[in-house]
Amino acid sequence: MRWIVVVAVTGKGGTGKTVFAAMLIMYLHKKGSLLAVDADPDSNLPETLGVGKVEKTLGDIKELFQHTRDEIKGDKEVWFEAKVFEVINELDNFDLLVMGRPEGEGCYCYTNNLLRGILRKFMRHYDFVVVDCEAGLEHFSRKTIDRADCIIVVSDTSKKGLKTAKRISELMDELGIRAKKALVGNKITDKRARDIMMEFALRTGFEFLGALPYDEKLVECEMLGVSLKDLPECEFKREFNKVLKRFEQWCLGGSNA
Amino acid sequence: MAERRKLEIPEGVKVKVSQGEEYDFPVDVSPMHEGERIRKGDMYVELAGPKQPGFELVMALPAEDVEDMKVTLVGKDLDELEEGKAYPFAMIYYVAGEKIDNDLEPIIERRNHDFQNYIEGVMHLNQRYDIWIRVGKNAVEKGLKSLITVAKAVMLLFKNEMPFIEKVEAVYATDREFVEKMLKDVAIPIFEERDARVEALHDEDVEEFYSCTLCQSFAPSDVCIISPDRPSLCGAITWFDGRAAARVDPEGPNKPVPKGELIDSVGGEYSGVNEFAKTESGGVTERIKLHSFLECPHPSCGCFEVIGFYMPEVDGIGWIHRGYPEPAPNGLTFSTMAGQTGGGKQVVGFLGIGMSYFRSKKFIQADGGWYRVVWMPKELKQKVLKYIPEDMRDKIATEEDAKSIEELREFLKNVDHPVVKGVVRPVDGKKITEGWVEEREEVEEREEVREITQEEVQQTQMPFPEFQQLQQFQVPYMQSGPKIKLVIKNANITIDKIIVKRKEENKK
Repeated sequence: MRWIVVVAVTGKGGTGKTVFAAMLIMYLHKKGSLLAVDADPDSNLPETLGVGKVEKTLGDIKELFQHTRDEIKGDKEVWFEAKVFEVINELDNFDLLVMGRPEGEGCYCYTNNLLRGILRKFMRHYDFVVVDCEAGLEHFSRKTIDRADCIIVVSDTSKKGLKTAKRISELMDELGIRAKKALVGNKITDKRARDIMMEFALRTGFEFLGALPYDEKLVECEMLGVSLKDLPECEFKREFNKVLKRFEQWCLGGSNA
Repeated sequence: MAERRKLEIPEGVKVKVSQGEEYDFPVDVSPMHEGERIRKGDMYVELAGPKQPGFELVMALPAEDVEDMKVTLVGKDLDELEEGKAYPFAMIYYVAGEKIDNDLEPIIERRNHDFQNYIEGVMHLNQRYDIWIRVGKNAVEKGLKSLITVAKAVMLLFKNEMPFIEKVEAVYATDREFVEKMLKDVAIPIFEERDARVEALHDEDVEEFYSCTLCQSFAPSDVCIISPDRPSLCGAITWFDGRAAARVDPEGPNKPVPKGELIDSVGGEYSGVNEFAKTESGGVTERIKLHSFLECPHPSCGCFEVIGFYMPEVDGIGWIHRGYPEPAPNGLTFSTMAGQTGGGKQVVGFLGIGMSYFRSKKFIQADGGWYRVVWMPKELKQKVLKYIPEDMRDKIATEEDAKSIEELREFLKNVDHPVVKGVVRPVDGKKITEGWVEEREEVEEREEVREITQEEVQQTQMPFPEFQQLQQFQVPYMQSGPKIKLVIKNANITIDKIIVKRKEENKK
């Protein structure tokens, strides 16, 4: 069994999406083999996971390929695949791929075409792939990642945030991504905000997985650069666990993968 | 040519030999396992890779020299290697078959990568002397004890998937001294020879070209034709890449294009290419001359690395690359010209190419090749300098020599560029341009000098010898710059209407 779970953020950045993705990763890897993909150049998934700075990214490999492909001897796809394997970080419990910088000038048709084939063959061997993605779902529109089973949008209650959530939903239709979609409220401090989220989810066809509070402990954790593994018991963690339960029921169908 | 013969196995080294087919494998063998990563923690041993020498090689030999399904292992076997360590590793296959020649060696060798990866618990990365293999603990636990088993599985796959292989024999090695010596003495000379052959391969040496329709999402009617002498215009795909992709997925974006009849050997026109282009472009493109600039040029998708532009004022061709931000002497920037040229159209007067096409022996040969080239940015010129014929290196202007047509004319005259007196194309020795009118005329001609403004240039059909054959031509005009002076002597011009306007002051 294999699941590709995408976490996308909307609205204001900060404590939210990447924390959610990181906690999901730390939970899911206990259930099977897992590949974490940092597909948001603005986020810091590796640091949030306590990995530290990642030296090389897939973006670097793409650039290297763009600039040296004339000189590559033999088969370019085999060369490229080996480089992709080199930039995958093997951590204790799961693997991590950082997509890195956006594309430069020039034509990436061929590069992305090779990459699609390589990633498709590679990703199918994991039980879970968790992608931390920006709202534009760039890697899905390029089809370098060609499949998603569920997309979780993390949003605060701001008008802009909810608008982006709706946009992601439309984008999924446009791109033909047939995935389950769910909404997680972020920085939800009172019942009213929670109700707004729920109502929005109901209206736009999102499954509502719950609301995460704004928690000082988490902010402190982020500020000090402490990995989430060491996040102390707090309200955020408690609420997160509730969201996780619902996620399991809804997305994985309560199975143990 | 590098010699092809069986390797000599040194004496005093541990050798294990196995003959005959094996069908009983302790692990699963299927394409399903491709792309499987064996993580460091799950790894039993690493073979070759970043820390140890290694290579893979396929050698075509006469049938009588190849002992079918024989495996010789030189050095320790899998169950004698220490867990968690990395070892040198070589895989050599001798193949024989009626249809097998040296050209097939790299194609067969490429499949070693696929077939090794079919084996559950075996990860194979990269190629040639960069191979990197990991054998997983899971495979060893399931009973994989010998590298000979791996070899036997791969050899069976070779024979099943490529029936033209009639006999295959393998030598696997983990002995450091042997691996290092064979790499240096046998494998490297063969790899070098192969690369030299790639450089020497021409359109006439092959039966089919390959298409590329990867860009059809941006340019729906675009068809790129990739031949040995003409790589794709995005610069990414060579004929060899096209062939590799077409073999894996014949219905994919790179399809084989049978050449058909040769229609024009200088321009590079083939009936098969024309038919293919017509079908694939939905009738938009009917004829393509692969090595022509001004007649039936190759269509441009928009992905090109470099764009060529014809400058009628000097009857020469300039090139500008994507990274150059300034306007060319014709007053246009790369992006302006790219906008006019892209979209899978054939736009006479502009041509998108990949950087590596400058390397081609047939580089726009119908239009005089390098002898028709008059301008390129310095950065680009430096990059391709070694491909420019020596007698032309000082005759091609850069932005340091000329930024406008006026300056370019001056420069070309000073260096006596072939376009001034007429270009003789090297491919067949034919004189294809007459040279500049004023240069070839005798003095006592009637002279007519008019000054006209840039707006007019656009509206006036310019009488250059080549133009009459062209279906469409956009005269590049200058967006800024001084008034230009046209000197026309002894020419017959028929013009229906000329509009002369006063140049507006301060016009942007």
